[in-house]
Amino acid sequence: MNLYRTFVAVIALWGSGFAVAQEGQTLTITSWGGAYERAQLSALIEPFRKETGIDVKLRQYVGGIEPLQRRDQKNNPEFDVVDLVESDAHFACDEKILINFESSMLDPAADGTPAEEDFMEDAWLDCGIAHIEYATVVAYDERAFMEEKPSSIADFFDIERFPGKRALQRHPRAVLEWAMLSYGIPPQQIYELLSSERGLNLVTRRMNQIRDHIVWWESGSEPAQLLGDGTVVMASGYNGRFFEATMNHDAAISVIQDGQLLEFGVWGILRDSPNQEAAKKFLRYVTGTQKMADFSNRIPYSPTRSSSIRRIGLHEKSNVSMLTYMPRSTSSTSKNVIRIASEWYSRTEKVRERWFNEWLLDGEN
Amino acid sequence: MVTFNKDDIKTIILRIVILAALGSAIGAVVSLLALSFVEAVLWLNRNLLISPSARIQHSENTLFLNVATVLVPTLGGLAVGLILRYMVRIRRGLGPSDSIWMVQTRSAGESTKDGLMSTLAAILSLGTGASAGQYGPLVYLGTIIGAVAAKLNFEIRNLQAISIASGVAAAISVAFNAPIAGLVFAHEVILRHYSIQVFAPTAVAAAVGYVVANVMFNRPALFLVEFEGVQFGYEFVFFAVIGVLSALLAIVYAKGILTCNDLIKRTNIPIQFRPMIAGIILGLVAIWIPDVLGIGSTSLRFATIDHAFELSELTVLIIAKIVLTSICLGFGFVGGVFSPILLIGILFGALCGGILDDFTAIGHSGIIPYAVCGMMAATSPIIGAPLTTILIVFELTRNYDLAIAVMVAVVFSNLISYRIFGRSFFDIQLHQRGFDLSLGRINALTVYQKVTDLMHENFLRLHPHETVASVKEKLAKSWYDEGIVTDESGVFVGIVQVKALDNYTPECSINDAIEHNPLVFTELTNMREAVEDFKTFTADIAPVVSSTDRKLLGVVWDYDVIRSYLATIQRLRQEENESL
Repeated sequence: MNLYRTFVAVIALWGSGFAVAQEGQTLTITSWGGAYERAQLSALIEPFRKETGIDVKLRQYVGGIEPLQRRDQKNNPEFDVVDLVESDAHFACDEKILINFESSMLDPAADGTPAEEDFMEDAWLDCGIAHIEYATVVAYDERAFMEEKPSSIADFFDIERFPGKRALQRHPRAVLEWAMLSYGIPPQQIYELLSSERGLNLVTRRMNQIRDHIVWWESGSEPAQLLGDGTVVMASGYNGRFFEATMNHDAAISVIQDGQLLEFGVWGILRDSPNQEAAKKFLRYVTGTQKMADFSNRIPYSPTRSSSIRRIGLHEKSNVSMLTYMPRSTSSTSKNVIRIASEWYSRTEKVRERWFNEWLLDGEN
Repeated sequence: MVTFNKDDIKTIILRIVILAALGSAIGAVVSLLALSFVEAVLWLNRNLLISPSARIQHSENTLFLNVATVLVPTLGGLAVGLILRYMVRIRRGLGPSDSIWMVQTRSAGESTKDGLMSTLAAILSLGTGASAGQYGPLVYLGTIIGAVAAKLNFEIRNLQAISIASGVAAAISVAFNAPIAGLVFAHEVILRHYSIQVFAPTAVAAAVGYVVANVMFNRPALFLVEFEGVQFGYEFVFFAVIGVLSALLAIVYAKGILTCNDLIKRTNIPIQFRPMIAGIILGLVAIWIPDVLGIGSTSLRFATIDHAFELSELTVLIIAKIVLTSICLGFGFVGGVFSPILLIGILFGALCGGILDDFTAIGHSGIIPYAVCGMMAATSPIIGAPLTTILIVFELTRNYDLAIAVMVAVVFSNLISYRIFGRSFFDIQLHQRGFDLSLGRINALTVYQKVTDLMHENFLRLHPHETVASVKEKLAKSWYDEGIVTDESGVFVGIVQVKALDNYTPECSINDAIEHNPLVFTELTNMREAVEDFKTFTADIAPVVSSTDRKLLGVVWDYDVIRSYLATIQRLRQEENESL
């Protein structure tokens, strides 16, 4: 025991010495705000500040690569480290905005398993590392459906059986896959069939069924609010946000276990950031086995490294087992899980936008 | 119980090793080539605005899209025409019927170079949007590799059939992600018999093909459906009805292709320009109905989705696809008949299901079983492979109910089509080329053996002016019972039987004793005709004369014909019962 204490003390001393050396440096990092930001702060940022003395500033970011290209007065980018959705990460990599990534930039697991083996195979991107997998899901207000509950994605489009407003992201995403799924199209064929006029016509037909019942949302924290205040009865949104509303704010929200859309959250470092060393240190720190587990114990986005998954336990406030709320969780009755094809998304950007705008215009006429 | 000595066992083990290795090697090579073929077609489709996903990227620029829609198949047709005219000896695309012919007649078939050129023409045809199929060319690709492997000298009987069957099995296994279907297809369509000797290497090749395609490259399946099961017993009656109707549809389709082929042959349009004409017609129609372009796998996947097509749209598309596929294949685009009929059939099935849903109040299990039944019931008579079609459904959907529904439809379809038009489109093609498999393998095979192979020149040649006495003496000295009479220039006149001479005085000429219309063969007579003729004529010798100037070439003895016929039967038996 004494030996252990000595060891801890040495580490702490070494750490504080380090902190002095790095004093005055500040990293700017993107954040998705709300519950996500709170989990980031308590699980990753605060401990990092304490251990390294490097200050970390979080700045709101709502996606896209345009904010990553902006420059301040010194012609430096506004961010050092970015937390991106997978499709943006691919795009940013192609645009040479991010530095190239190597497995040596990450620490092995506690038991010595090298990072290459510990992380999921798909997690390795050319310019970043996927650290979480999150799901876009449909949730409903339990109070609105006291008898039969919506249970499939088709129910989202069924106004007769499940009347009421639906909240949807004002963006041609997720609802495309769900519309296809509602016809019984197998997940494996969805993207191919979506890439055709006929496929988009099928989506249009479904969207027309709910046209007069849509409330649009833009930021990730809105869907849970809209459900909570009774504006809508169903909403698309991120699984972690719905979890947070249920656990921390006692919202009567349930998630439909059909048609989860999985996507990675990816860490990357901006190529033009002047704080390369600190940024790399940060990335090494937050991708550590325990840190990734700490984060996922606060919000149910599953870590992409298996040693972290083994450290997931109970939610700190509500004492529920976090594993059951993770995307693609084996304990849930999820079916038709779809991995978002980020490559397809970047390829069809224009087509999707055009289709969406036309559909919106059709409604106005 | 058979006993073996040491050498036998050694040979058997060696053979097993060779055949397994051969099967794996052919399977691996064919599957990689087949995947490259499919990828090449997809690449062309994407870059030449054939595939729906490419077309949608340009849907704003209508003029550009329309020009491309007409230009691409037109120029593609020209390229295909030029390849066929100048680089393929027989000036047409090669396909499964050629594979069948090679295996059944044990002939070498066209050269490897011609085969590869035909494959290139197929890639261009399908890549530039011709309404045709990819499985035919893939089967022939498997055949090319099989035929090359058959040239290796392993001292194994039936090596050519084994190799080609393995190549074909691997191609189908890769193309459909269905190894069992690949194995059965090779037997049902190409080999026409089952023997352990061929079965083993073919199965190995199909399995290797499956591993390469599915495990290594993870190819998407042709179609996927989620089907809960047939809910009402009476629906099987509907499946049977769809089977019957699909058979009629298949017959219209086959006749369409043959008719278009006849039509274009009657014109003076040179071969190199024929596919181009089909390309122009296809392009113009595709401006209005883009679904007719190419292999049509996206449309096929939409067909199982409820209301993805309006009923009127389905009707128009079925007709357009039949007409345009007939024109494309009839006018010389290189491609198969398999994929288009899959699409036509599934659209037809979806139409039947849709009608049932929209116009009747009868309960049913949704559109999926009807669409899939239509697809396979229309396809089975075309490729002549009922078991394969049932297995494809079973392997792709792993759904027992659906496989049973398809089985009912396919059985009824085959009953009808076999009566009206025969076993398959390939057999009709072969029949047109003079090889009639409907008579059985033995008869089909003997058509390719000529009597001239059995002809010899040991006979007694006589002249009309010789006397009865001298001829009698000649015959007595020899062991012949008859002499063959020719004139001075060697033209055949008739036969003189020794018995007939007894009616004439010794000093008169044999002229009156000549039998002028005995059984006569020409150099064109085949073994089957010879056997038939010897059955009806009571002769034991038949002169063979030139079909052009009737000069005597030699004679054929009846016992030689019978011996050869029996040997052929024996060889087929042996092949069909051959073990390792």
